[in-house]
Amino acid sequence: MSNQNKQIKLSRRAVLAGSGASALMAGMNPMIAFSQDLPTLMWWDIYQPLIPLHQKIWDSFAASGQAKVEYTAANPASFMQSLQLAFRSGELPDVLNIPNATPAQIVSLQEAGWFAPLSDVSFDKPFQKAVDAEGFTTFGGDLFSFPIFSPRWHFASVWYDNEVVTDGSSLGTWDGVRTAAKEATSGERYGLLLPLQFGPRMRDTLIDLAMAAGSPGTIDWATGEYAYASDHFVEALEFLLSFQKDGSLHPASSAVDARQGRARWAAGEAALFFDGPWNSGVLKGNFPDMLAKTGVSGIPTPGGNTAIINRGPITGTFWVSSQSKNPELASKLLSELTTDDYYIGLAERMDQPPLDLSAVGRANVHPTYKQIVDEFTQTVFLAPDPLLRNPAIANVYSKMRDVTPGLGEIIQGAFAGAFDDPKPILQQLSDSMSRERERAINAARDEGAEVSVDDWVFADWTRGKDYAG
Amino acid sequence: MNKQRKNSIVARLWTDRWIYIFLLPTVALIGTFTVYPVVASVWYSLLDWNGFGDPGAFIGLDNYRDLWNDPLFWNSFKNTLVFLVFAVPLRVGLALVLAVILNGVFPFVRLFRTGIFLPVVTTAAIVGVVMRYILDPTGGPINFAILETGIVDQPVNFLGSASLALYSAVGIWVWKWLGITVIYWMAALQTIPRDVYEAAELDGANAVQKFFRVTLPILTPFTLIITLITVIEATNVFDLMLTLTGGGPFYSTEVIDIFVYRHAFTSNIPRLGYASAAAIFFAAAVTLVAAVQIFLVTRIRKWRKL
Repeated sequence: MSNQNKQIKLSRRAVLAGSGASALMAGMNPMIAFSQDLPTLMWWDIYQPLIPLHQKIWDSFAASGQAKVEYTAANPASFMQSLQLAFRSGELPDVLNIPNATPAQIVSLQEAGWFAPLSDVSFDKPFQKAVDAEGFTTFGGDLFSFPIFSPRWHFASVWYDNEVVTDGSSLGTWDGVRTAAKEATSGERYGLLLPLQFGPRMRDTLIDLAMAAGSPGTIDWATGEYAYASDHFVEALEFLLSFQKDGSLHPASSAVDARQGRARWAAGEAALFFDGPWNSGVLKGNFPDMLAKTGVSGIPTPGGNTAIINRGPITGTFWVSSQSKNPELASKLLSELTTDDYYIGLAERMDQPPLDLSAVGRANVHPTYKQIVDEFTQTVFLAPDPLLRNPAIANVYSKMRDVTPGLGEIIQGAFAGAFDDPKPILQQLSDSMSRERERAINAARDEGAEVSVDDWVFADWTRGKDYAG
Repeated sequence: MNKQRKNSIVARLWTDRWIYIFLLPTVALIGTFTVYPVVASVWYSLLDWNGFGDPGAFIGLDNYRDLWNDPLFWNSFKNTLVFLVFAVPLRVGLALVLAVILNGVFPFVRLFRTGIFLPVVTTAAIVGVVMRYILDPTGGPINFAILETGIVDQPVNFLGSASLALYSAVGIWVWKWLGITVIYWMAALQTIPRDVYEAAELDGANAVQKFFRVTLPILTPFTLIITLITVIEATNVFDLMLTLTGGGPFYSTEVIDIFVYRHAFTSNIPRLGYASAAAIFFAAAVTLVAAVQIFLVTRIRKWRKL
């Protein structure tokens, strides 16, 4: 009995001692004592290279006693499915991003009530105001999101192993890339690896290559017609197929997505890889040995002239979910992503270039990243979008359905031998897109929207100049 | 009067009340997880719904009309039928041959039985992922073997070729599920009385004659049941196909399950109503096939009794 009492006394002492120590710690930093009581913000996105940058912001946000952040990294190829299931079960995270978002998708999601407006976010510097647009970041005059990345970038820089391709200057032309791939093919190493299984990535790469060949993009802004069947698209597809004909395309291309493809390229299975600017950041994080021997060349063109890539207005990057229980806190957290320090930090993560491109010059980045961002400033121009001129187009976008087979599937089919001549299939895509747009326009008109095909015509657009509308 | 009450439905329900009470959990579970989803799918198939928000507008049979005019739906229907036509006879036939062999007594027979059954207990999605590496044109063991032996001089792109991918998937599916069909056949073989074989042997029948004249005729009803089960299993290959090819390249392995999944989840703007219509349409087709098979089984049983 006496032993028991002794034990209890000791236990009480231990508890008192522990409490005293906790109180002391709390006195030194009150937030530590209460950190377990902080609300938790769930944050889902596809930007793995940005985790260290964001982690600092999240830690600081928690240390200031506002909220903890629980982060989930997602695979871009399957993220949208996760978000749909989460929305329907009321489990959307507080902060999310929409992978490969198109204006049509964002408008549909906004109409379905996915997003909450931001509160107390200052987004009014000139370069910020330039990308703030109704239907892209703002709805009904309220700011719902903002881009953290610049619209000036593309998917089709040529990344190469400079121990295999010693002369990167030859990669400026399509023939140069093709020759380099042929010369690099030897033994178990192939010239080029394409992530053919990832249809959206292949679609975007082909669109950029078609623009490098002279196309205005998927829409000819002079006429408002879809341009998938133009010679530029056919030539760009034939350029990609030429690697297969030459035997320089990695045979596993059909079975890999971008991440798997990059890993196999970095493992030395291929010499060349088309990828966006984030490749520097991913290599730094996952394949640092490869980064040391990586070179990069700008998007190649048929004749070696400087490419002209047109990029439409961009949608916001992160959105606060309408299902968030703490939308004000989530907004406050997102406001941390609009500062100059953030843009410099973002540049240093070497993902898509920051909205403030000048931050790259002030940041400590790998030479490949700086080189590629410099190229973007020469080659990427702002394109128009009908939604900018006529907000009623949002009604059309929200009614447009996917057309299949899409460009990504057509590329896969061309490589898999599903058809010999891609031109009729591309023409079918253009025709189907036109019919679907017409259907959506008619449906929007039935609801009273004042829209027409002419909204897609921008007679004052000039290729190679930013569209100021 | 009493007799009438006794025979009334209420009286019978009261008499068997404990049976119904014990059945309640099963009814609730089947209602929640089977009946409700089926009924909900039928309702969704009549809606224009992108799945982003609340169920959309009622559009009657428009989704079914679009489906009828969608060449990619018929492509997936065709792929499913091709899969059935090749995979079912291959699995059922090969399993019968193996069951007859493994029904015998020889060294390591248990080891062989276990080896053939092992893929059955492996998760189909994992099989899909692993097979992508095994069939990889560079570094995959199958290509390594056929290149080394000189059967081909270029690696074969089993999953990347539009003309080969579906048949590669058939082969993998048959390998994965062969073991369970072997078990069905072995159970069926156990029902054949030994004295029938002895009588055949006395009449001078050799092994082949015994198989075709004794074994096969007796197994006929089992054949139909096993085929029916296999047909239904062959229409549910979503997990394997998604991880193996995702329906590609260029829809060459897009079976109905993947078609439904694509429209419901992976499109930029999903069409849940349309996907539901495809699922309902195909379920009706499978039900029809199963009904025809059951009808045949019944007819054959009646014929055998004559």
